[in-house]
Amino acid sequence: MGGFEIIVEGFARALQILFSGDQEILGITLLSLRVSLTATLLGAAFGIPIGFLVARKDFHGKSVVTTVINTLMGLPPVVVGLVVYLFLSSSGPLGFLRLLYTPEAMIIAQMILTFPIVCGITISSILSLNPKLKETLVSLSAPSSWEARVLLNESRLGLITALIAAFGAAISEVGAIMMVGGNLLGYTRALTTAIMLYTNMGEFATAIALGIILLLIAFGVNLFLTYLQMRSRVRRTT
Amino acid sequence: MSSLKNNVLVIIVIAVIVVVLTITYKPASPPQRLIIATTTSTVDTGLLDYLKPYFDSRFNANMTWLYLGTGQALEVASRGDADVLLVHDRVREDAFVSSGNGTLRVTVMYNDFVIIGPPSDPAGARGTNATEAMAKIAQAGVGGNAVFVSRGDNSGTNALEKRLWTKAGVSASGTWYVSTGSGMAPTIRVANEKGGYTISDRGSFYKLRSTMNTTLSLVIVCENDTSLLNPYGIILLNSTKYQNIKYDLATDFLLFMVSKQGQSLIGNFTVDGKQLFFPVYGQPESIGLPSENSTVTYLNSLLKSRGLE
Repeated sequence: MGGFEIIVEGFARALQILFSGDQEILGITLLSLRVSLTATLLGAAFGIPIGFLVARKDFHGKSVVTTVINTLMGLPPVVVGLVVYLFLSSSGPLGFLRLLYTPEAMIIAQMILTFPIVCGITISSILSLNPKLKETLVSLSAPSSWEARVLLNESRLGLITALIAAFGAAISEVGAIMMVGGNLLGYTRALTTAIMLYTNMGEFATAIALGIILLLIAFGVNLFLTYLQMRSRVRRTT
Repeated sequence: MSSLKNNVLVIIVIAVIVVVLTITYKPASPPQRLIIATTTSTVDTGLLDYLKPYFDSRFNANMTWLYLGTGQALEVASRGDADVLLVHDRVREDAFVSSGNGTLRVTVMYNDFVIIGPPSDPAGARGTNATEAMAKIAQAGVGGNAVFVSRGDNSGTNALEKRLWTKAGVSASGTWYVSTGSGMAPTIRVANEKGGYTISDRGSFYKLRSTMNTTLSLVIVCENDTSLLNPYGIILLNSTKYQNIKYDLATDFLLFMVSKQGQSLIGNFTVDGKQLFFPVYGQPESIGLPSENSTVTYLNSLLKSRGLE
């Protein structure tokens, strides 16, 4: 079978899987969504406040911290996976938590990947706000909570971009969740690790089909986030 | 300002709904999960997928596996991160047990390795034994007429390959020697693309040939040599050292694999009508391996007391 036929067959299989409601693949898909969405939200829960503080406060070594965060945006997933594995392993320092080969371990690993992405983009979008806005806030001697709300609101386009980038990194990564999740059937097998397994087994059409499902999910999530982005942009200009 | 509040609120509400929905979706809450650290061949061929329903229903278990090379499987098990081992590298298996990480090792099945290469066989490896074949491939490789693709991942297959190079007196390096650092099936595919030679267990090769059909052009150039024998062993881990492992369930798995039912299931597993694994519990002598009498006697008594014969 030539390459093109396999891709066509993959599309056909994807449709077949989507309409037949295959339980195993449904489970794999929901796990991927759950792990990556949770990791994105947790990454944002830490990344946005920390990014805000780094952007707003003047402190010694600010540019170093920013550079480190920007560098960590390119963390190789498999290295994160290996380090998290070594920590969570039975003989590792956090082995007593018994988290290895669980969805929670996968969330932890992906959160380490999403945090610097959200944090880095938050820093740059706050730094790129019009300086007059900050001067105005200072001249009004606005309380800091008020200032945070105004600045975060003004940088909301950037914050949504941060979420889109973080979710994209999480849902598509395979190295980290393979190491710490173990790709266990019916438990920690996610879309990307299943794609790798089917590819190794030579079942290319199924692998392509899962890839298409992954793209559809990413598309759905991004459609929603982009809608929010567009809506807030319209409001801002009116 | 309210738009930020609204947007954040909408995001949070929807995200919470999705997370709650996906958390409450439980894919049939599993009874007791057994984690087998195993090699790529038992997974790629589909053997474990085939055995799973029989084991699960008999022992009310949920059999899962970590898909690794033998080297990584032994490393993961030695850290206490798997319940039992099903691997194929006798030398390292014995070292694992004698270092106190494992308590018992038994041969459960075997198949054999084959040297595969392009149909044109530029090295002239056909009709020779394994050691000569490897020497010829190296010779042709140095002359620029052949490529050898190695797993290069410390797996059982990789270990056998290294032993063959040593036997053939070849130092395997140079532009003709490619190391993929990945599993058996990806390595065969690289060899296929490069028109090169590689060593595979027969099972993985047949399975890949059945899924790839005519796009896999490699053929067997050397087989049926005793040095290409590939026995698989199960190792029970030291439960005193690894207190968190599911030792009883691991023992169930071992007993299942050596029971009459398990052994005949292994023998009946076929891909495209070809048997890929041969049960050999209790008679390793028949394929020229050392006797395992004391272990077999002990396991037989366990089988008997559990009514699993």
